[in-house]
Amino acid sequence: MTSHCIPSFIAFAIAVLSLSACGGGGNDHPAPDTALFAARYNTALTAAGTTAGLTSPTVVDVFDEKYLDNGSSRADLMATLAANSQAAATSADLSLFPTGELTNATLSACVDNVCTLNATLTNTDVDTTTTDFTTKVKILGSVVYLYGDQSATAAI
Amino acid sequence: MIKHFNSRPATLAVSSLASLLSVLAMPPANAADKANTKAAGTYVTGDFHNHTTCTDGSLSMKKLIDKAANTFNLDWFVQADHGGSSARNCTLAEDPFEPVPAGLGLPASPTGPYPPATYPSAGQPASTAKGPNQTWEATLPGGRAAIKGDGTATPKAMWRWQEIKEFQYKVAEDESRARKKPIWIGVEQNAPGHEHVSTTVLKGQLPWPQAGIAGDATLQAQYEYCFDNSDTDTSRGAENQFDCTVAGSSNNGQLDSVARKIRGTNAAATANLGHLKTIEGIKWMNEKAPTTSYFIPAHLERAGPYDPIRNRGFNIEHLRNFNNAAPNVAFGFESMPGHQASSTRGEYSPARGSPPVDSVGVGTYGGSGIYAAKIGGVWDALLGEGRNWWFFASSDFHNRGQFGPDQRESSQDFFPGEYQKDHVMVRRGAKDLSAEGIIDGLRSGNSFAATGDLIDRLTFVACAVNPALPRAAFKALIEKAAINALGKNGEVRINGCATMGEKLIVAPGADVVVAIAVRDPQGTNNSPYAFANPSLKQIGLTQPLNAPVLDHIDLIGGNVTGYASPTDLSRYAGLEGSPAAVNASTGIKKVFNTTNWTAAAEGMRTMSFRIPAVKASQYFRLRGTNLPASTPFETDANGNPINDYEVAPFDQTVAGRIACTDSACPPHLRTVGGIKYASYDVAAWSDLWFYSNPIYIEVTNSVKVAGLK
Repeated sequence: MTSHCIPSFIAFAIAVLSLSACGGGGNDHPAPDTALFAARYNTALTAAGTTAGLTSPTVVDVFDEKYLDNGSSRADLMATLAANSQAAATSADLSLFPTGELTNATLSACVDNVCTLNATLTNTDVDTTTTDFTTKVKILGSVVYLYGDQSATAAI
Repeated sequence: MIKHFNSRPATLAVSSLASLLSVLAMPPANAADKANTKAAGTYVTGDFHNHTTCTDGSLSMKKLIDKAANTFNLDWFVQADHGGSSARNCTLAEDPFEPVPAGLGLPASPTGPYPPATYPSAGQPASTAKGPNQTWEATLPGGRAAIKGDGTATPKAMWRWQEIKEFQYKVAEDESRARKKPIWIGVEQNAPGHEHVSTTVLKGQLPWPQAGIAGDATLQAQYEYCFDNSDTDTSRGAENQFDCTVAGSSNNGQLDSVARKIRGTNAAATANLGHLKTIEGIKWMNEKAPTTSYFIPAHLERAGPYDPIRNRGFNIEHLRNFNNAAPNVAFGFESMPGHQASSTRGEYSPARGSPPVDSVGVGTYGGSGIYAAKIGGVWDALLGEGRNWWFFASSDFHNRGQFGPDQRESSQDFFPGEYQKDHVMVRRGAKDLSAEGIIDGLRSGNSFAATGDLIDRLTFVACAVNPALPRAAFKALIEKAAINALGKNGEVRINGCATMGEKLIVAPGADVVVAIAVRDPQGTNNSPYAFANPSLKQIGLTQPLNAPVLDHIDLIGGNVTGYASPTDLSRYAGLEGSPAAVNASTGIKKVFNTTNWTAAAEGMRTMSFRIPAVKASQYFRLRGTNLPASTPFETDANGNPINDYEVAPFDQTVAGRIACTDSACPPHLRTVGGIKYASYDVAAWSDLWFYSNPIYIEVTNSVKVAGLK
């Protein structure tokens, strides 16, 4: 069973959506909020692109606890962020992580609360780089979490 | 051909404003590779080592510059003749300038008329009373009396310091401004204690885009007087009264009281004095023009190992000494020599000079000297220290061998830009496409060199993997950035990414992605030959010699273990192959080819490679070729280039190794027993390579890459 420590602002959003659903009647499963996911993920990516934000909960909170992508788990992610944070404390010149912003997120091919998320990823540090972004996400209520390709093998 | 620096100023202004705003919105930069600290830039092509009749070349300055900047369309050009003295006046242009349009199979005549024939191999003869083979003494209004400094020969030779200062510089500046390209004067120094070194002291010279007042090459002329081993003039540059003192140097006491320079060099009684003088010259450059000088040893394997009592060669300890003396001035080597169409490629061979000594490595390897061509060798040993030590190539043009200057065949040299090119990053801004910007680019290490236009664009970047992005998305982002940059002939500018000549600083255990995008230009290169490449024909591939195809790229990597101390002799000094001159950790980390790169239109190729859990400081560099691994007599099973001398030895009666069987194979090729063999220019056009400069990865708890700030 997937469990999450849901941040307060997300809980609030869920509550609003739930109230809305109750008021409207007829839908026990609120629609996944891709816009909210994009906003949360972009906050996470921004944080991961700064030394101060590396260990911010906003980064790991968008990852499902069973996130696995090309052999890299949520625990690996947290370890890497922690290592970078530790290194940043002793090396002011530590390179930041390249990052980006997600837009145009859409879901498709949902099976057992796991969907394919397609979006556009854009880096605008100086020049603009835009590429397609595709991954699996897990839906819990209306909240979308990164789930990864669930491959234990690092193919890339 | 590609036109550089013609993009839209308005767009740039908006882009710059956006960059400024993003800077204001971001926390203070804390990484050396912050993207917004790098102005947009473009790779521009040039050559900095070549010769005219002011030394032992065959052409005037004007014709050489025309070949470089017009015919072969280099973006920048440094005319750099030997040091010493010479009798001929290279400032006189050929008359007529180009008797007949350049082409294959032209008739040449030693006596004219021109036209209908073109000039012979040595250029326009002095007997025509025209052109650059006439002497200074015969052509200066003041005759012999106008030639300054020591000398008694007839005709009197002019010291190179006078040629540079009073005659050649003006031609260079005029040509530069007329052609709207940075063109200036350097010197191929006869470095005391060693052999040749490509140098520039730019300060004072005002090539395009400078306008208005005329500049001068006084400092370059003074460097020549003070530090060239062949300048034995004692006049102090006549009215110039040069003084070769180096501020604060403990060696100033060795200056001759009359000549005001160190007059000795390596000899039995003064071992290593020449090397000391060369170091003094580097220090002098660093004092007089610290950001607009360079000192780049040329064809440094050719003359064999260093000899403390003669003037020849460079061992690795000398390169370290140069770099230690002034890392902003002595920052690389020309390990890919010129003379690529010579009977012995690069003029590397056994038994050179007196007493005879073999070139280090005997020959070149795919056209590069062994110092750079051998994986884990001298270059990798220097990179393994974390030094800023970069790879360059130059034409070293003198003549076309048995052919004239407008004949397309060559049995000796290629023109600047015809075969080899240095592609150097020049950034927009105050320096833009200027000589200063180009020297900044050379010093930065953000450059690559290629032969035969095997590739004409390269983007090479290493990025710290962001764990918060799925791997496929991160890979796609960086590859897309690389291909976008390639489209602009520029570099990736993303925070957390480093390009050639830069270092990426990562935490222990971080993953790094290396992304590469190249353009294999479509169409034909400058080769005049359309018959099938004889080297590839051996393995059943039919590919026109003038339309090469990139076969593969090697990603080469090695560890950085820190600077060797000059007092640690076993690690600091030694011959090629000795413990001081190897980096055993270096190897090919990945081979890219059609099976694992993404091909796109116009010859664009994109590829990437993830280096997992980086624990130690290291570097990565690239090389690529048109030849598959195990091409007989060209590459070994690992794709390493084979000694070119073994394929085409000096003795022309010895059969070559690679037959040239096409009916269009030209008659000047080595022919034994009625069989033509790939040799001269055909051998060079058959065997193409490119080399990138490295990207350093510094791990925070590992060795510091000290050479890069």
